[in-house]
Amino acid sequence: MPAIIQVENLVHRFADGTVGLDRVSLDVVEGTFVILAGANGSGKTTLLRHLNGLLRPTSGTVRVGGVAVQKDPLRARTLVGMMFQDADSQIVGETVYADVAFGPENLKLGRAEIDRRVQEALEVTGLVHLAEKRPHLLSGGEKRRLAIAGILAMQPRVIVFDEPFSNLDYPGVRQVLEQILKLHRSGQTIVLTTHDLEKVLAHADRLVFMRGGKIECDGPPPALVAGSEAYGVKCPMVVGRGVEALSWLN
Amino acid sequence: MVELTGIHYRPGSSVLHWLDVRMKLALLAVFSAACLHVSGAGLLLLGLPLLAAVLIRRGVPSFHSWELRWLGLLLALVLVARAVSTEGTTVLSLGTISASREGLVDGMKVCLRLILVFLMGSLFVASTRPGDVKAGVQWFLKPLPLVPAERTATMLGLILRFIPLIFEEVSRTTDAQRARAVENRRNPVYRMVTFGIPLLRRIFETSDRLVLAMEARCYTESRTGPELKAGRRHWAALAAGGGWLALILVV
Repeated sequence: MPAIIQVENLVHRFADGTVGLDRVSLDVVEGTFVILAGANGSGKTTLLRHLNGLLRPTSGTVRVGGVAVQKDPLRARTLVGMMFQDADSQIVGETVYADVAFGPENLKLGRAEIDRRVQEALEVTGLVHLAEKRPHLLSGGEKRRLAIAGILAMQPRVIVFDEPFSNLDYPGVRQVLEQILKLHRSGQTIVLTTHDLEKVLAHADRLVFMRGGKIECDGPPPALVAGSEAYGVKCPMVVGRGVEALSWLN
Repeated sequence: MVELTGIHYRPGSSVLHWLDVRMKLALLAVFSAACLHVSGAGLLLLGLPLLAAVLIRRGVPSFHSWELRWLGLLLALVLVARAVSTEGTTVLSLGTISASREGLVDGMKVCLRLILVFLMGSLFVASTRPGDVKAGVQWFLKPLPLVPAERTATMLGLILRFIPLIFEEVSRTTDAQRARAVENRRNPVYRMVTFGIPLLRRIFETSDRLVLAMEARCYTESRTGPELKAGRRHWAALAAGGGWLALILVV
């Protein structure tokens, strides 16, 4: 199966000279669930921001659906939806409905199509009853689901989640995790960053460890998880039990 | 998260909520002009419907007294300035400074005008989605030559969107400083500097994140706007509101 995302020798250097990404290469096949793990400052968020053209490479290329992101960042943003770590700063609408409609309005769709997409996204995320509520008054879990709805309404092929469980309580984590898995089951490609493998590892197809802006290892979760502490990530494995036993939904 | 401020859009079904935004903007402009032109009974007549709206609380923003302290301070300053700068019958004197009856009456009229404009503006914001405000402003600016209607309306929409975030940052910064006993420092310059610099930094950081989030969702100035529709009941409401204002202006 062809890769929907192709990253080749990607280098990102910040304005102060710090190297954020150092010759990173990564292919993501459509329909897979990939976890990018690593300690703070390992380059996970920087890599995600290259996937939809929010950052420009110092060198190297990022292709989404076969087209270089630099060539057509708008297309990349339509194909790759991004959920930020801080759900609050992602909210731009004055009501839940208006926030979800923000993306499709930017795509200049007709009003009827926008309404249809928003309704569908709210149904998928279970937010229909909150459509007229002010987003800033939602709970942490609801805000993340709102961010997901906002992305779904743009109908992307890939959704990238930047630390989707940070600052969430147990019910909030379960809500967001259920949502992510629902999307994955419906065929959506998922790329998710975390430094807390325990919450999500049981459901992923692939685990990628990053350190110092480089990809250090990449493979199936059961094969790699035991070595996670070498990359600044707490090993979640319960001795004698498999990765599958870790799910927070059990 | 708590309520950020009393002045923000609140979904509802009042007349102001369903009234076309262009008509609301037109009525707001005429109302503000009327406030400047009428006095005495005219001002009271202008204030009556607003008072009724506040009393029955249909789609009206609720304010905590703490939120209105700056408005109160402004009104007090206006009243004092008018009272001491207008010549007339002295009602109070402190050394060389004296307040006149005419100045006090004049000051109260100005304060009433400010309160009415503030209330009307708050009603407008509470009953109108920022997206609709943008569409309405754009509609009015479009016929004007050399005015970039879309860009101006977008800037206005963004300002309205960003206000709650600024209030949130103010609240966070205040709480963080109180938690470290900033109130023990009496020097206002010290307090202003230690409050202002981190606040500005946080506001810029938040605006950066907002920009990134908007960019990630393909933000563009020429996005699909809300559909502006003015049916029979909108025209009827405009006629009623306009007629009432015209009557006050004429009488």
